Amino acid sequence: MTAQMMTGNLAAAWGARLADVDYVPAFPITPQTEIVETLSKWCGTGELNARFVTLDSEHSMMTAAGAAAATGARVFTATSSQGLLHALEVLYTVAGWRAPLVLVNVSRALASPITLEPDHNDVLAARDSGFVQVHAETCQEVVDSILMAYRIAEDPLVCLPVVVNLDGFVLSFTREPVWLPEAQAVRAFLPPFRPTHLGFKASTPQALGTAVLGGSTYSYFRHQIHLASVNALQVHEQAAAEFERCFGRRYDVVEGYRIEDAEDILVMSNAFASKGKAAVDAAREQGRRVGLLRLRMIRPWPADAVRRALRGRRAVAVLDQNLSPGQGGILYQEIAACLYHDVARPRALCSFIGGLGGKNISEAEFHAVFEQTAEAGIQGQGGGPVLLYTEAEYREMEQLQFLAHDLKTGR
Amino acid sequence: MIAVRFHGRGGQGAKTASRILGTAAFSEGFTAQDSPIYGSERRGAPVSAFTRIAKEPIRERGIITRPVLVVVADVSLIGDPAARMLEGIDERTAVFVNSPLTREELRAQTSLPGRLTTLDLTTIAVREFGKRGAISALLGAVAGRLVGLRPESIDRAVAQELADLGVDASLIRRNQTAARHCYEAVPLVPVEKDVRGAPGPTSLRAPTYDPPTRGTASITAGPNSAIRSMSGWRTFRPVLRPDLCNGCWLCFANCPEGAITIKPDGKPAVYYPHCKGCLDCVEVCPTDAMTVERETEATKTT
Repeated sequence: MTAQMMTGNLAAAWGARLADVDYVPAFPITPQTEIVETLSKWCGTGELNARFVTLDSEHSMMTAAGAAAATGARVFTATSSQGLLHALEVLYTVAGWRAPLVLVNVSRALASPITLEPDHNDVLAARDSGFVQVHAETCQEVVDSILMAYRIAEDPLVCLPVVVNLDGFVLSFTREPVWLPEAQAVRAFLPPFRPTHLGFKASTPQALGTAVLGGSTYSYFRHQIHLASVNALQVHEQAAAEFERCFGRRYDVVEGYRIEDAEDILVMSNAFASKGKAAVDAAREQGRRVGLLRLRMIRPWPADAVRRALRGRRAVAVLDQNLSPGQGGILYQEIAACLYHDVARPRALCSFIGGLGGKNISEAEFHAVFEQTAEAGIQGQGGGPVLLYTEAEYREMEQLQFLAHDLKTGR
Repeated sequence: MIAVRFHGRGGQGAKTASRILGTAAFSEGFTAQDSPIYGSERRGAPVSAFTRIAKEPIRERGIITRPVLVVVADVSLIGDPAARMLEGIDERTAVFVNSPLTREELRAQTSLPGRLTTLDLTTIAVREFGKRGAISALLGAVAGRLVGLRPESIDRAVAQELADLGVDASLIRRNQTAARHCYEAVPLVPVEKDVRGAPGPTSLRAPTYDPPTRGTASITAGPNSAIRSMSGWRTFRPVLRPDLCNGCWLCFANCPEGAITIKPDGKPAVYYPHCKGCLDCVEVCPTDAMTVERETEATKTT
């Protein structure tokens, strides 16, 4: 195995190719397009033996993906941002169909205003759809997570679709070394999908996801989805162990970085967690005992793993790269909820909002996060949400507002 | 609180009846709440509607499981499990059924529990309107009388609710006349003010689930609509007069249930087990060859 330089998008395409998928319904959107372009090319050359179909929208694309998966095909598709939201109602639908497909979302902040750079409001909008969610930090993790995602989606204990998230630009268009597993070894880790419980035959028609009225049938199936999703924690554990045995790389539902002896812990997800780790190193050099907890699996929510990592700490800061207007950081709420019943919960829980629309998070901002978090821990008083925004960024914003308005009339 | 449940078939006016009752009660100074529930909106399918009337604020929502009065627009609903007409009825419940039968005859035929009362609203409607329309005003008036509302309030409520539906003034007046007639003619039975007792014992039970591989609402049984008779949905039936039929097939093309076939001679034939009595075929027939007959209990065997 040798490493090669590739973008996160190419890594995602390789994930689908190595998983030997059967069907790829596609629709382009920046910054995801490179994934489906690559798969289209490989389907054309025969390097990937799959049916590639362009659809008229993400809504149709997800419908086609779910329908194909319901027939027992191994299905891959990808989208981003507005596209994910256009498909949103179908995400709920195909999860209800228990269609075990894998969707890659390349995170991009949502309009309005319009931008192309990442934050996680898009993928978190799909949080309650029934999809299992795995968020990647590196290009390597993208390809590896896709392979693991099929194992989880197709496991008889789960039978749910999985979305693998990677950040637009900072991962999607960023090249870094990726070790591609050998196709033969992947086949051992992820054998061809031959489900006995899926599929249609002309002689045995069936209706899937039928209308149910009165609430009790609906409650039954929705709660069943919840329990199947929770099963994905245990199935992920098995997939991670098997993946490590086959390929030597280990991925857990959360990743702790220098947390063993940490007083204060910063919680992050996705690609900017790399910057968070660098900030932890820098803070440690200044004598702060800090660590980072990266959330990989968002759904099912790894409550036990989060609690184990965070209990007994002085203070915890959650850096949300998302914003729920009127509430604050989305993951902060989830962390707070799962720590509530822990007797050894941290003395302070601080909420920070950073990296919205791909805004950079500078070393100085991380420094401020650690400083405020330590102080909150000493005082025993958390707070927030605090927006990470610098003096220089505010001056730039003022300049842009000046340019955007009519200089003569001031309107 | 007075909890009234209406049962009808889509198009008969159960929902509007519940609103007439709600509006009339509200106009008399009561607190009122009314709501319908139905599945796919389909003429002839069972519909329920609910009206709650109280002097105090109403702290209930949704379906009424323990009514003090049940108003049944069509006798066929009594035997239709999908209508759930019998739910929560006991010997103290007042039950009105639109039927030409007397209460004794109805009791003998259906063994319905409750304090029965009947009136043949369909005949009154046919006489007053000269056409087969909804009987919402009549149902509302009967319900209003049984729960003790004043005739003027019903009168105004009928006008208001039918006007909201775009019914023209002359037809509203005829509805008011028919409604007043029903108000006065319905045999009275006592309606309890409140039958709410202590809640029955229940225990929460998490379901035992099928494995995740059987995790979606699916139907694998083969086509079965053929064995579902819709005869009971009809209040009227279409009857073809072959001598007037020009063989245009418009009835065949417009039948929403596919209940009309074409015979070898090119003339249509109604397959009654699948005819729900919507009479769309009558509406579209250019030669009036498709005529209407009222269903009676005797004819409603197919």
